[in-house]
Amino acid sequence: MKRISVAVSAGAMALCMQLVACTDLTENPKSLITPSTYFNTPGEALAALAGVYAQLRGTAGEGDYWGISEVSTDEMVVPTRGQDWYDNGTWMELHHQSWSATSPGTLSFMNNAWNTAFQGVARANVLIDAMAGSSLPNAAEVTTEARGLRAFYYYVLMDLFGGVPLATTSEIKPRPRETRDSIFKFIESELLAIYPDLPATWDAANNGRFTKGAADAILANMYINAGIFTKDGVPGGINATAYNSCAGIAVSGGDACQQAVVHADALISSPNYALSATYGANFTAANNTSKENIFAVKFAAATDLGFVMLQRTLHYNQFNPSPWNGFATLASAYAKFDSLDQRRKVFLVGPQVNVETNQPVTDRAGAPLVFTTSIANVNAATEGEGARIYKWPADPSHVAQNNGNDFAWFRLSEMYLIKAEAILDGATSAQTPLALVKAVRARAFPGGDTLSAVTLPVILRERLFEFAAEGKRRQDLIRFGAYTQPWEFKTNPEGQDPKRVLMPIPQGQIDVNPLITANNPGY
Amino acid sequence: MRHLSRHVGPILAFLSFIATPLVAQTGTIRGTVTDSVTGQGLAGVSVQIIGTTHTTATGGDGNFALADVPAGTVTLKVSRIGYGPLQRSVTVTAGASADEKFVMSPQASILEPVVVTGYGSQRREAITGSVSTIEASQANVGVKTNFTQMIQGRAAGVDIVQNNGEPGSGAQILIRGGSSISNTNEPLYVIDGVPIVNDNTQPGGQGLGSPSLNRSPLNMLNPGDIASMTVLKDASATAIYGSRASNGVVLIETKHGSTGGSTIEYDGYVAASSPAKKLDLVSPSAYRSFIQDQVAIFNADTASGTPPSSAAGLDPIHLTRLGSANTDWYSAVTRTAMTHNHNLSFAGGTEDTRYRASLNYMMQPGVAISNDLERIQGTLTASHHAFENRVRLAATVTTSRENDKYITYENTGGFEGGVFMNATIFNPTQPIDITDSTGTHYYETGSTSVRNPVALANQIQNVGNTTRTLGQVNGEYDLNPSLTAKITLGIDHSDGARQTYIPKANPLGVALGNGQATQEELANTTRTIQTLLTYQHQSGDKSFDAVGGYEYTQFGSNLVGAQGVGFFTDAFGYNNLAAAASRTDWSSTRDWKLASFLSRVNFGYQDKYFITGILRYDGSSRFAAGHQWALFPGLSASYKINPDFKVRAGWGRQGNPGIPPYQSLVTFNPGTGSTYPWGDVPQSGVSANSNGNPDLKWEQTDQFNLGLDFGLWSNRLAGTAEYYVKNTSGLLEYVQSAAPSNVSETLQNVGKLKNTGFELTLDALAKSTPGFTWRAGLTFAAPTSEVQTLGGASFIRSGRVSGQGQSDQWAQRIMPGQPLGTFFGPVFLGVDSAGKQLFRCGTASATCVNSQTTAPAPEDYAVIGNANPDFTFGLRSSMTWSKIDVSFLIRGSVGGDVFNNTALVYSTKGNALQDKNFLASALPQNDATGLHEPAIFSSRWVESASYVRLQNLTVTYTLDIPALARTARNVQLYASVDNLFTITGYSGLDPEVSNLSTDPNNLSPDAGLAARGIDYLSYPRARTVTGGLRLSF
Repeated sequence: MKRISVAVSAGAMALCMQLVACTDLTENPKSLITPSTYFNTPGEALAALAGVYAQLRGTAGEGDYWGISEVSTDEMVVPTRGQDWYDNGTWMELHHQSWSATSPGTLSFMNNAWNTAFQGVARANVLIDAMAGSSLPNAAEVTTEARGLRAFYYYVLMDLFGGVPLATTSEIKPRPRETRDSIFKFIESELLAIYPDLPATWDAANNGRFTKGAADAILANMYINAGIFTKDGVPGGINATAYNSCAGIAVSGGDACQQAVVHADALISSPNYALSATYGANFTAANNTSKENIFAVKFAAATDLGFVMLQRTLHYNQFNPSPWNGFATLASAYAKFDSLDQRRKVFLVGPQVNVETNQPVTDRAGAPLVFTTSIANVNAATEGEGARIYKWPADPSHVAQNNGNDFAWFRLSEMYLIKAEAILDGATSAQTPLALVKAVRARAFPGGDTLSAVTLPVILRERLFEFAAEGKRRQDLIRFGAYTQPWEFKTNPEGQDPKRVLMPIPQGQIDVNPLITANNPGY
Repeated sequence: MRHLSRHVGPILAFLSFIATPLVAQTGTIRGTVTDSVTGQGLAGVSVQIIGTTHTTATGGDGNFALADVPAGTVTLKVSRIGYGPLQRSVTVTAGASADEKFVMSPQASILEPVVVTGYGSQRREAITGSVSTIEASQANVGVKTNFTQMIQGRAAGVDIVQNNGEPGSGAQILIRGGSSISNTNEPLYVIDGVPIVNDNTQPGGQGLGSPSLNRSPLNMLNPGDIASMTVLKDASATAIYGSRASNGVVLIETKHGSTGGSTIEYDGYVAASSPAKKLDLVSPSAYRSFIQDQVAIFNADTASGTPPSSAAGLDPIHLTRLGSANTDWYSAVTRTAMTHNHNLSFAGGTEDTRYRASLNYMMQPGVAISNDLERIQGTLTASHHAFENRVRLAATVTTSRENDKYITYENTGGFEGGVFMNATIFNPTQPIDITDSTGTHYYETGSTSVRNPVALANQIQNVGNTTRTLGQVNGEYDLNPSLTAKITLGIDHSDGARQTYIPKANPLGVALGNGQATQEELANTTRTIQTLLTYQHQSGDKSFDAVGGYEYTQFGSNLVGAQGVGFFTDAFGYNNLAAAASRTDWSSTRDWKLASFLSRVNFGYQDKYFITGILRYDGSSRFAAGHQWALFPGLSASYKINPDFKVRAGWGRQGNPGIPPYQSLVTFNPGTGSTYPWGDVPQSGVSANSNGNPDLKWEQTDQFNLGLDFGLWSNRLAGTAEYYVKNTSGLLEYVQSAAPSNVSETLQNVGKLKNTGFELTLDALAKSTPGFTWRAGLTFAAPTSEVQTLGGASFIRSGRVSGQGQSDQWAQRIMPGQPLGTFFGPVFLGVDSAGKQLFRCGTASATCVNSQTTAPAPEDYAVIGNANPDFTFGLRSSMTWSKIDVSFLIRGSVGGDVFNNTALVYSTKGNALQDKNFLASALPQNDATGLHEPAIFSSRWVESASYVRLQNLTVTYTLDIPALARTARNVQLYASVDNLFTITGYSGLDPEVSNLSTDPNNLSPDAGLAARGIDYLSYPRARTVTGGLRLSF
């Protein structure tokens, strides 16, 4: 019997030998690239760098860093409109600040923000690792930019979640949480380290790539927020109900407030940047030429590459393709604007037109569409309730919902306001806060600006007017100790819990990383 | 045995074949076979000389003849389904004719003597594993587009849920509950010994929102060509298929030619199908009065001083949206459809050469408009025995062309909506079409969220086609009387295309950019080579057989597609992409390889004790280097306690490699996700689109099976009872990776799943008298499943809720301690006086009073249902009064739940705020839920899915026309009703609903492979009346 089995196997094997490579199971994908078949030319390295940049789009997403930073504040709300926008209660959870580590909003929005930024980090690390042993002529240049972008992604993570795992290699493995302060210091040291190698500007064909200015802007912002960004939640020293000063916090080069002024000044005095003559020029489809935008997410009027802000805010019948009629501005936020302030024009109120044709439009029931500033019932709003942001006007060459307007994370006007705030907070400068703020306001009040004094609360209001819908409000409210205060639709007690100054790490992310032993304080 | 060494390997063996002396002395055996009860001749009885392939079958009168039988004493065996086999010795004298008469006694039909077991066949007595067989002739009644429909209700433990009522729709087939969460749960199909790669053969189409479900790639097989189907269920039986067998194996044997003279057969039917049930929507008149009532409420409210924005009811503007028509939209998009099907085959041959050829044409229009399936299929098989029957060659070629016409409907739904969604919500007071100055055209509301469903169905062109050829050749050579070598070469090539055009005449086409045309082509090729050595030996009361072999399968697939957007005319349809204003295109290719060494040994003693041992060693390219090869053993034994009872026990290990290729590698991909427009010009980029997993390996299922076979009262009642335990470990799942990672999820082997179950199969010859025979059968299965661990995760969300305002809502959770298909959500308590829905809550707070809340919070979610039935059953019966046969099949499922996603989203009167219709159950007289209450997923929408269905009722009449009887062997007329009635408490269309996705290449748990029992705007199931004719000459 044994001989039979031997014969059986021998027969099978003999035949096997006659077939070519009958046991060769190596995979060679043909329509995909593997790292071993890539990074052979400067162009290939540049293409991988485009991949690192591409992740920036996600940060401006409605269910991502941008959405969290707007909808969780007194500036914006996504009302439930009949059947629309209930979405498992996620939008109202975000506005009510009633999230937990496992709530639907966290599992969606916080998780997106975490993944988007960390994938940006991962893409940068893959490229940096590949360039480390590379003899490509642009290896150093590409590495420098990838490090700058990685620093920005860590800035997003640190802002939302505080201390996060820190990875500087492409190896995928669990890593422990660092303190928020060490992430802060990592970003700072990276930006300072690459600073000498970064270009001051790029030519038009490379507009939008990382510059010295981008590094300065991130640093200035980090320093003005140093009273928040170096501290792990309320137990770590954040004051949820009062202004969190940058004064006295030691950063590279000295006092944080003073360094904020130094880096803001680097931009204010730079010939490469200037405030636009008109406010609107920063937001049009041609805003790539704005000398005010320092570091922007570049969008293009091409499928999947465009800005979709219109879809979020406009009514179904105001644009083609049909927008989503979602995000609205709170009446209380709208009311804060001076009626003479040109910047109030970013809101649509009253009878509405199609933004492309300028023809009057109706709601879905056929009645003329009118946007009201107030929302009677945020859980059962009508189609026309709530003022809408129309700050980034439709791109005439939009492809479906994709508009080419760039979205700036840092504009020069913010540097003026950071500098003014830092001076009010103890930094020294030859300029006065009033002059700096008035420099920003000049174009908003062509008829004359009556502002006569600047205090910290004035800065907070001014930042609302200047940066409405630009994803700054959450950061500002936390710094000014106002994030957990009640407002129009957020009167619930959970929304006044001081723990809200930090977002919870989504539980699913903790589940898969045994080295993360604790969530943020209170979660 | 020594000469074997000179013939290593069958190829060499064939080449080195040396002619052996021929024996010229032969005789003939003639005879008749009759039924012991009726005394009539029995047709279709297989007559075989044991130990040879010398076989024939009786004709209509029960006569048979076997020519060229070598002189000497041979053992003749006669067998037929439903009769006890007989055998006897016959002495053949050279040049003479022996005459033999057999009288066969009817018995339970389950007991057919030979069972196909994979890489060979076995006598039923020797089977040690769990095997169910389905006789095709009994199961192929009514409209059967796909052979899976023939298994429904006829094999215990095989749960087949047709995705929906669309012609040719795919099905979810779970053998013993399925063993995977995100991997495929589809069994392995083996057609005439060649394993089939059951990948989609047609591109899925560029869906709107989400594409409709794929039709079954196995539609290419004509049920009329199938002789028998065997389902291997337990691991001791399936281990021979090793890595691909953890979901069970379905072996399909097609019909072959026989030597009983040439036959011509025609089988044709015409069938009328109509929707078995329609959604109960608010009627036009009820809708009108509802709007008027709500406007009256609004007016009364505002008259009392309430500002309009807070007034109850509906703003009077909605009155202006009422039309003067009365349209039943659901009826407008459905119809009574006439299917016709024709099979023509001829077969015959001599002792040495046999052939069978068949042609099939089928045209099955759907019960929804603009939707059908057409199949043209042909099969040729031929076999030849040479050199004294020591060499046997066979070839089979099947080619089919399937033409599919699709409508846009959504199984999962977003905002765009398809035909069924719009039929549900379209204002019933508006007409289908209107005539104005521009002529007659479809009526559209002008709204972007509602579109005329009839226009969607008729204007959108969405067609697919597949040409698939399955060919195999095999050669067998008897090295000596005990040892046979066999080589099989199989090729399976398909070309599938999908073409869509959404015209600008339709508002959807306008919204998509003035016409959108798409063309996609998918070509798949599978090559298989199989070499087998089979050894059979019988000495005294010991029997031994062994099979060993090598199998190699190579799969390649290429997809190319292009899309054009923006047409100045609709005249081109999808035929001229160059006319589009902008175009995109894409292509991709995939391949994988599977190499296997396999062996099986059967040992029998005294025809009482049987042991089977299986060893298979499989290597798949799809796993990480170092984890590609694995061993799959199986061991089973049976003991015949007495002639009536046999016990079996078996254990085995199987794998599941059903993941797409390249998952273990870090791969880079271009695409918009890595493209960035610096300088305002999109710069094409790449980024890693996977994390890779150097430890990726098989899912592994260990299964233990215990069975009892019995045949009582002279085999008039036969049956099988089985109990099994299946433990799957190393479940492949996309799990979140520790950040940072290239993509958020990595395919990993985590998690354990346990399936247990009890199955019973009964088959009885209940009554057998001259002139009346009654056969009945029962299948029963009670499966359970439990997720044991999920690696680190405490749960995985599954089963996305579809519909407006339902983003980020999930109906199910995969959780340790619970079965797959566990519904999880808020617990509904009722509706308060303000029309708000109330849900259970735990901790008292501002929103949670008296344990009731109107805003359910995740911490209050609970298990609110289980999609898995407690048990399923099938009951079949066939009664024959001489020329008339009445048979039926009843199927049922008890104890499961179904989530009525359709009712969640469309039984809300708030739809009227947007002038949309809704289900009649939401009218104020039926339901107190307020006008402004959003659709909130909760236990309210999870209903019992228990049902009993009369699946099929068939009456067959065998004609006795003298004029025909002279030439025709058999003439039968039959009438059949499918899905005659369903008894269920479920309020939706049909409680039998499949999962959301059947894409085997999408492993994401939210893709729906793990989700079960979610009913969202399903394509309605048909009730079908069939009339048919079977003729054989």
